[in-house]
Amino acid sequence: MATKTPPEKTIKLLQSIAFAGAMLAFVLCILISVNYFQVKSSDPLNSPVMKSLIEKYKSNPDDEQLKAEIRELDLLARKAFFTNKWQIRTGGYILLFSVLIVIICLKSVELMMVKLPSVPDDKTDNFWDLRKINRKWVAYLGIFLVCISLLFAFLTHTKLGETMDLTANKGSMADSTQTNANENLATASSTVATDSTTKTGKDSSTLIQSLDGYPTQQEINTNSPSFRGPGSNGVVFQRGFPTSWNGSGKNINWKTAIPLPGYNSPIVWNDKIFLSGANATKREVYCFDLNTGKILWLTPVEKIPGSPATAPKVNGETGFAAPTLTTDGRRVYAIFANGDLIALDFEGKKVWAKNLGLPKNHYGHSSSLVMYRDLLIVQYDQSGNTNVMAFAAKTGDQVWKTSRDVKISWSSPIIVSTGKQTEAMLVAEPFVISYNPATGKELWRFNCISGEVGPSLAYADGVVFSVNDYAKLAAVKIGPTPQLLWESDEYLSDIPSPVATSKYLFLPTSYGMMVCYDAKTGEKYWEKDFATPTYASPVIADGNVYQMDKKGVMHIFKADKTYTSVSDSPLGEGSVCTPAFAGGKIIIRGDKNLYCIGNQPRP
Amino acid sequence: MKKSLALAFLIFLFAVQFMNSYGVQRFPKPEFESGYVQPETLLPNPRAELLAFMDMGVLILSLSVVTWLVIKKRSRNGVFWMSLFALAYFGFYREGCICTIGSIQNVTLAMFDKSYAIPISAIVFFVAPLAYTAFFGRTFCAAVCPFGALQDLVAFSPQKLGTRLNAVLGVIPYIYLGLAVLYAATGTDFIICRYDPFVGIWRFNASFGTFVFGGLLLVTGIFIARPYCRFLCPYGVLLNWTSRFSRKHITITPAECIQCRLCENSCPYDAIDMPLTAKNPDDKRTMGRKLIFITFLIPIFMLAGGWTGSRLHEPLASVNAKVKLAKQILNPVTDKTQAETFEIEAFKSQGKQQAQVFAEASEVLHKFYIGGWILGGFIGLVFGGLIAGQMITKHRTDYIPNKGTCFSCTRCVDYCPVKLAHLTKDIII
Repeated sequence: MATKTPPEKTIKLLQSIAFAGAMLAFVLCILISVNYFQVKSSDPLNSPVMKSLIEKYKSNPDDEQLKAEIRELDLLARKAFFTNKWQIRTGGYILLFSVLIVIICLKSVELMMVKLPSVPDDKTDNFWDLRKINRKWVAYLGIFLVCISLLFAFLTHTKLGETMDLTANKGSMADSTQTNANENLATASSTVATDSTTKTGKDSSTLIQSLDGYPTQQEINTNSPSFRGPGSNGVVFQRGFPTSWNGSGKNINWKTAIPLPGYNSPIVWNDKIFLSGANATKREVYCFDLNTGKILWLTPVEKIPGSPATAPKVNGETGFAAPTLTTDGRRVYAIFANGDLIALDFEGKKVWAKNLGLPKNHYGHSSSLVMYRDLLIVQYDQSGNTNVMAFAAKTGDQVWKTSRDVKISWSSPIIVSTGKQTEAMLVAEPFVISYNPATGKELWRFNCISGEVGPSLAYADGVVFSVNDYAKLAAVKIGPTPQLLWESDEYLSDIPSPVATSKYLFLPTSYGMMVCYDAKTGEKYWEKDFATPTYASPVIADGNVYQMDKKGVMHIFKADKTYTSVSDSPLGEGSVCTPAFAGGKIIIRGDKNLYCIGNQPRP
Repeated sequence: MKKSLALAFLIFLFAVQFMNSYGVQRFPKPEFESGYVQPETLLPNPRAELLAFMDMGVLILSLSVVTWLVIKKRSRNGVFWMSLFALAYFGFYREGCICTIGSIQNVTLAMFDKSYAIPISAIVFFVAPLAYTAFFGRTFCAAVCPFGALQDLVAFSPQKLGTRLNAVLGVIPYIYLGLAVLYAATGTDFIICRYDPFVGIWRFNASFGTFVFGGLLLVTGIFIARPYCRFLCPYGVLLNWTSRFSRKHITITPAECIQCRLCENSCPYDAIDMPLTAKNPDDKRTMGRKLIFITFLIPIFMLAGGWTGSRLHEPLASVNAKVKLAKQILNPVTDKTQAETFEIEAFKSQGKQQAQVFAEASEVLHKFYIGGWILGGFIGLVFGGLIAGQMITKHRTDYIPNKGTCFSCTRCVDYCPVKLAHLTKDIII
């Protein structure tokens, strides 16, 4: 019996190992492929079971057991998904290893089994015949490729180039047409504005409200109907405000305790002051008498349809009542951190109310309300759902809603007349966007901001100013094709908003700096360190800038190229709210009390 | 003293190059009230510039060593071990980047886009293999290219393909080269990198498509040696052209061929030209007529190819980002349940005018139209050249490697008894 020589045995062994390795590699290939398709086809976080559980939870948010079940399922789905991923990766490593083994074994076999070179059989193929055939095959391939290419070109031809050219030209024409249309519209708006002014001029002595259900511009300008005054722009159109006071007595007309906390600023309409307060369980709207400080009425905001049962999580510096109210002289409107929106008449009676859905907001909703004619404008930039909406002031019906492709924000809209038209300008990462407040149609946008935007915009003389911490201060010339005039990142604000005149921009920072820039060039004129943190926004009134700091000291200085202090007037308690200016009086919300400051001595 | 100072300064500069640059977090992290703890940010260290010079050094050194092993030592073992080194260094260590094959695109883009600053390493990786090939044949393919090295490892049972298939499949690399140049020149894409079949193996992170493509190539490579190198590699086209001029190309026999025919089947790549003694059945006059005919045909092929290529400019351009965006704007998603594409989202966030996007897309389409003519013309020229090439041949009396297609792997030299005789003679002496 012949015995195998050791190399033969080794060769057999190596061949067997190589075969086993190849089989393993083959099986692994199949398993990896199957696993890949499993991972690809699975969408663990959107499974029907998960979706139905989430739906159930939405209708019953207090069900802790359901919540735990969802979490458990979520964890399980994620684990399964990542285990599959791990299996693919590990399988890949084993596959590579098994292929390596196969290669080593077969290479070793190659070395051991030395093959002697052999002389091949005589070939009968004629070289020149083969060449001829080759030529034919190459030619056939060429013809085949041309045919296939032409067929493909024919099937996929869409006259794309011509369409692009045409569309590009049309687009340019449309842009220019749009510009012309805007100009025409602007002219029309300006005409309307002139008419309105004329009409108001006639009726100014009696302050007659216009017939179509919303206040005239003069009415608005003689009151303080929203956050930072008329149009929420930080500029007051009246004169004769006190420039010095002392919380302990001087020029303090009255001081009244506010029942519930809130960081919203007071608004004023004729002889009424409105503000709100809330905690996790209660929400209230207050009306104070401007002359006496007496609380005229207090309306609890409750039993709002769709209002969530549990309070939202809010940051301590935002609270449950951060948005400032607004009024059109007929009703007062308030919004709270849980999405409750309410309209009350001047007697404190509910006109309409609704809940806009629990805001997905990690600090708490803080965008203030503003009016445009008979429309209540609500900026509702929540996480994953950013909108601006307009509700009919009288009925609360939604008139328009524009979805915004921006990030969550805490800023407030401003309503400004650009001389050509009235625009609602909003800011949130990454755009300043202007809307037609009557229709919600976007007018223009400019990419100039980033981050969690808190400060609102400032506008003056065709230039809008946006700022945010860790981003930039940008001055943008508005229009259908807005242009960046200048930008700076030396001083930035994360809470207080800037304020502007046609010549100057005043930028506060939350750490207490005040900086003055040339509004058109960005040249820095001066900076002043008040050395106290500031959350309230500055207001320009009667040629002075009023800036409240957190300790309650109002820094009053000239709105001018050089810093000239008028006074530093202490309130006697801290304040983070922006003061309201109306009827020669300044209304300040302190941490606990509401103050009225007027030039006449305390009664 | 001055020299020492200069040297010390240089060493210091190189040392600085080696130091890692650390990114600095510009913005503070957001604070979560839920108690969520931010994971530690991992910052990959940028690759020191000096290491790029090391890559270039390794490339030149490898080319030199392999060329010496091929031309002087005629050592298959040496070439095999060098190919393993190339696999380890350029493949697994450098993860297939930088890559000589892909460098075609860098060079093309640098030629067409003035704003593109081509790295010096890309130029060296493009030029050095060509320079060596011009003198010594495709020694780069032998054992410096990791693609070749990997495929060479698995060529266990190579089969002859026959001249017909070789001729037909040999057209593909020209088309691939043309497309790669077109897409790089228009700044559309680096398709050689995108469809690199082995990059997933080098990096252990193959996508499923790459896994299948690379796997199929390797399995095919068991029976059809180096399928990528022979029937896909666009850089192989340039090496093929250059290698034809090489004066010091490897020979099968170290001395005179004794016509033993032992090497006839030794080449797994069908790259040995056999002696040609059979007379052309066509007389010289007929051959001349045919050649003149094909010479006249080549411009027609080019025109036909160019026209066909120009007709294809729309589908060719449809992968360009600008054209894609314009098409998406033209045909917006009407289904409200479907999310907008990233391209549309990005477009909206830029605040760009639609007309501008269309104008840009139109410009790209025009480039592709011109590019389509050039690409088609080039492919027409290739077909014409290949057909003409099949008519012209030199009479040969010996077995010699085909300078254009030979990878200088030195397998054939071990089959040559003349080499053995030389070795025996040396030993006796």
